[in-house]
Amino acid sequence: MDQTPAKSNSKPSQKKSPMSEPATPRRSLRLRSPHPKYTQSSQSPTKPKRPLPVSTRSPSFSPITPNPPESKRRKRSNSSDPKPSASTSRTLKRRVYYKKVVFDGGEFEVGDDVYVKRREGAESDAEDPEVEECRICFRTGGTVMIECDDCLGGFHLKCLKPPLRKVPEGDWVCAFCEAEKMGKVVERPKPPEGKRLRRTAKEKLLSSDLWAARIESLFREPDGSYWLRCKWYIIPEETAVGRQPHNLRRELYLTNDFSDIEMESVLRHCYVLRPKDFKEASNDGDDVFYCEYEYDIHWHNFKRLTDNDDGPENNEAGNDETYKFANDLSSDADQDSEYEEETTMDYSSFKNQSHELAANSRKGRIFGLQKVGITKIPEHVRCHKQTDLEKAKATLLLATLPKSLPCRNKEMEEITSFVKGAISNDQCLGRCLYIHGVPGTGKTMSVLAVMRKLRSEVGTGALKPFRFVEINGLKLASPENIYKIIYEELSGNRVGWKKALHYLNERFSDGPEVREEENQPIILLIDELDLLLTRNQSVLYNILNWPTKPNSKLVVIGIANTMDLPEKLLPRISSRMGIQRLCFGPYNYPQLQEIISSRLRGIDAFEEQAIEFASRKVAAMSGDARRALEICRRAAELADYRLKQPLESTRMSSSVNSNSKGKYLVSMADIEAAIHEVFQAPHIQIMKNCSKLGKIILVAMVHELHRGGLAEMTFEKLATTILSLCTSNREVPPGYDTLLKVGCKLGESRIILCEEGTKHRLQKLQLNYPSEDVAFALKDCSDLPWLSKYL
Amino acid sequence: MAAEKSLALFRSRLCDTRFVHSAFKSSPESNYSKLKFLISSSISEGCNNSVLLLGPRGSGKAAVVELVLEDLKMEHPDAISVIRLNGLLHSDDNSALKEIARQLCLENQLLFSKMASSDDNSQFMIDMLRECGLAHKGVIFVLDEFDLFTQGKQRLLYSLLDALQTLTSQAVVIGVSCRLDADQLLEKRVRSRFSHRKILFIPPPADDIQRLIEHLLYLPRESSFSSKYVSEFNSRLSNIFSDKKFKEILNSLLDVDGTISNLLGFLFRAVSCIDMDSGFLSLENFKSAHLCTQRQPKIDALQGASILELYILVCMERLEFKEKNSYNFTSIMKEYKAIHDAYKTSDNYANMVCLQAFEHLLDRELISFADSKGWNQPIEFRPVKLLVSAHELYHGLKSNSACPAILQKLFDHESYK
Repeated sequence: MDQTPAKSNSKPSQKKSPMSEPATPRRSLRLRSPHPKYTQSSQSPTKPKRPLPVSTRSPSFSPITPNPPESKRRKRSNSSDPKPSASTSRTLKRRVYYKKVVFDGGEFEVGDDVYVKRREGAESDAEDPEVEECRICFRTGGTVMIECDDCLGGFHLKCLKPPLRKVPEGDWVCAFCEAEKMGKVVERPKPPEGKRLRRTAKEKLLSSDLWAARIESLFREPDGSYWLRCKWYIIPEETAVGRQPHNLRRELYLTNDFSDIEMESVLRHCYVLRPKDFKEASNDGDDVFYCEYEYDIHWHNFKRLTDNDDGPENNEAGNDETYKFANDLSSDADQDSEYEEETTMDYSSFKNQSHELAANSRKGRIFGLQKVGITKIPEHVRCHKQTDLEKAKATLLLATLPKSLPCRNKEMEEITSFVKGAISNDQCLGRCLYIHGVPGTGKTMSVLAVMRKLRSEVGTGALKPFRFVEINGLKLASPENIYKIIYEELSGNRVGWKKALHYLNERFSDGPEVREEENQPIILLIDELDLLLTRNQSVLYNILNWPTKPNSKLVVIGIANTMDLPEKLLPRISSRMGIQRLCFGPYNYPQLQEIISSRLRGIDAFEEQAIEFASRKVAAMSGDARRALEICRRAAELADYRLKQPLESTRMSSSVNSNSKGKYLVSMADIEAAIHEVFQAPHIQIMKNCSKLGKIILVAMVHELHRGGLAEMTFEKLATTILSLCTSNREVPPGYDTLLKVGCKLGESRIILCEEGTKHRLQKLQLNYPSEDVAFALKDCSDLPWLSKYL
Repeated sequence: MAAEKSLALFRSRLCDTRFVHSAFKSSPESNYSKLKFLISSSISEGCNNSVLLLGPRGSGKAAVVELVLEDLKMEHPDAISVIRLNGLLHSDDNSALKEIARQLCLENQLLFSKMASSDDNSQFMIDMLRECGLAHKGVIFVLDEFDLFTQGKQRLLYSLLDALQTLTSQAVVIGVSCRLDADQLLEKRVRSRFSHRKILFIPPPADDIQRLIEHLLYLPRESSFSSKYVSEFNSRLSNIFSDKKFKEILNSLLDVDGTISNLLGFLFRAVSCIDMDSGFLSLENFKSAHLCTQRQPKIDALQGASILELYILVCMERLEFKEKNSYNFTSIMKEYKAIHDAYKTSDNYANMVCLQAFEHLLDRELISFADSKGWNQPIEFRPVKLLVSAHELYHGLKSNSACPAILQKLFDHESYK
């Protein structure tokens, strides 16, 4: 391909961009791209770099002022908006933020991806073909075209030799690339004389003649020009490690590099998709790109993109309306805005700070986490094709969120109706719901699923907005800390728990406050409620007392294991807890079976009976869904292990012909092994494999137990028994101290319970397991056949 | 020269647990390959896992973990960070969280603050797990003495195992414990989150032991030793291994304790006895090493005891024989005087001297106070107990050359009538 970027300065198309020298590398270009006056003051290369919001905040900042103290910075990070200061600036005008802008015929929205012109006149936008030319006949349009997965060139189906009838399934590589891969030198067809090969925007982007960016916000400057703040995309070649072998052709990385650019330089839309969407949208056009990773420009490392931070969440502000940035510190104080500020900081300025910030303390947490990242994306992640067993393992993970939650519909409906009933009427009388059930029956998961559903209902406007606070009792350092956390969640401030309690009491008893969004109903989910029990039960009392206050607008959902927690509490608390309870019973076996098979749908890895067996077994033991999933996963792991051990697998395939190659179902035997591992205590196996002397000790203890009837015996007595056993069976009698040592070892692994060895002959010993277990383990012991006599 | 070099080689081999356990690397049934598959698959597939390694002390649990981690670090450079905790040091939840935060900071070159509260630390841990997961980095938590983490509310284990249930994290929790019932100690909520994978470490069977010894003691062919010496050494060694006597020694050693650490101790002793002139191991070396392992400290202590101490011990034994449950120094002295009066022995000592001998016995832990109460009382009046059994005392008296005949007769008379 002709990838030498044309540098003709012939067509100056941009009107007002005082452009710097075209040969500068890309990033510096970006930094020097035109900015309005106030940003320029800090962005000019001579001055120390400083976080952007700082400069926007007070335009008259002198360059030598030290960085603002930490507390200030934090506050600002919560409202990453220059408005309050802009109003005090000279212009006395505001930036006006938009959600959607129609500019030059295109409609741009926050969260869209766009092409951005790279440099002045590199290649004018006059020729911006939407459709690619065929690489053989050099004409556009006509019949269906196919894209080579290697060089991304387009070909007419009929131009190919031999011509193709229809687009083939899977990857397709053109003949030229194939030949090049074989090591031959190929001459690609050249365009006819006089006709230059027109390059599409995609090609320009991939050969770094264009930029792509994601719009983070759109605004109009006081002087009337439209600007946008964007996050840049980067092509693999421009990263520090360069293109890695597993990179796809159309792959881009999202960087954490922000800039403000003028609307003028935006070319048009492109579509950067996540892996999931990319797979689905495979033939959507030419401007589709693939993005799986984020690239940190300071540390040159990669990080997977999570699914949820896809685009900033903007609840407020419609079209052409000023953003209302309330000083409410909590609602928008999410990770994103903190990052934003953080990443615009130049790192070097921050290293020299006198007080460096630790990563694990609250204030410093946001600093340094971006350092975590991998410098090169490991190959095994990308190139690995998952087998069915591996897919099954992944989907059986407890962490994997299933698409649907089967078998808990009734309970979820009940929770939904409870929450809706509590928050939908204007009054919002505070209420409590107590959910109980044994571990692993989906209590927390159901509540969270309901909350997700309700939140989406809020999004569609069917429900009034509410706040949801989730707290886990076991993760609190002390029960009183719950006040601190609730208060922090609600207000964003951090205070001691006594103060927090005071504020919360005030807030919930005094009723509506001035600001509107503070008055949303609050749903408080307390997981592991029983952990909040203190001696005088004041924590629970307080929490359950707030909902009864007329203006509190608080709904409490408590989750715990014990059924009778309300009964264990003081009457004044249990009366406040109310009578609404919801029981999550243990799953029975059809339910477990459905849970497992709903996860495994579409993956052919398990025998039908194997799933049934596992679910029956777990239902009989505990009804814990986690356990059932773990057993199946373990079974899949065992099967996978057997498959992957080279020696074993060859034997496998030779002996079992029914299992075709690469296909192996998890069988009953695997489930059996997994269940064995989970449910059976390992002591029998240890007893079977312990040393000879250890076995003799165990047998002597059983013998002594049967003879004396007392479970506890002293070492001296045991030793005499052992000596007599040994002499009558012609074993070499061991010394007392050797016996003591072996006994203590058994005690350490808790096969027997014993006192410390310094007591010597006065040491008391006792079997930790029933004597039948010892008898079972040692009944037919090959090296000491006489043992069975005494059992 | 060659002897010194080979001695140094053996010593370094025997002390290097990685070398020892690499003997079992290749077999698919070994715990090494099982654990390695478990960890490496959870790293390459980006999932979470938790596993418990159980087995008696000295069976090589921690060593295998180290070996696996080292190999995985080679395979996946900078994709693994290991957090090591020990139940003896970090059983307190707050200190454990702090230690986790410290090690995470250290691994990722972040700045660590001692002042952070435990809430901060646990939040930091969760954030870090998420970030590491996004960066395809696995975090491996090795909790040594796992059973000690189960004291208290188990907040650490709960938050750790709960963090594993998010999709982005990519962590493996390895618990190492010698208590077989370690998973039963978990609280029900924690147990439900724990993935009950258990790998059992049992003493190796006889042929594995044989292989291990050969792995440890044969000199390598390609080395700085002269080839003549190597072949001579190895052929002598294989002669010893096939000797019936050697097998007996080995069996009697493993009958007592079949764990690998016991075997290593034995081999270390044997190697240390190597004949420095010839530089070859002989059967004698193994024999003397075996004698070392068979020592009975109590009887040895009795052999070194003075006559007066023996008198006191015998008196105590007599008192116990008379079923006096509680006795102290004064009652022992009474008994001592009674023996003296009855048999007119020449060994008559003053009270003070006897008290000194008595204290000496206390120090050697041949006798002890019956309870910890009354520690402010004078020694003479505190009740004491004999810690040596009659059987041992009998053998001790017999083997002590200085023991007066009357004492032995007395003892025979008492208990073996």
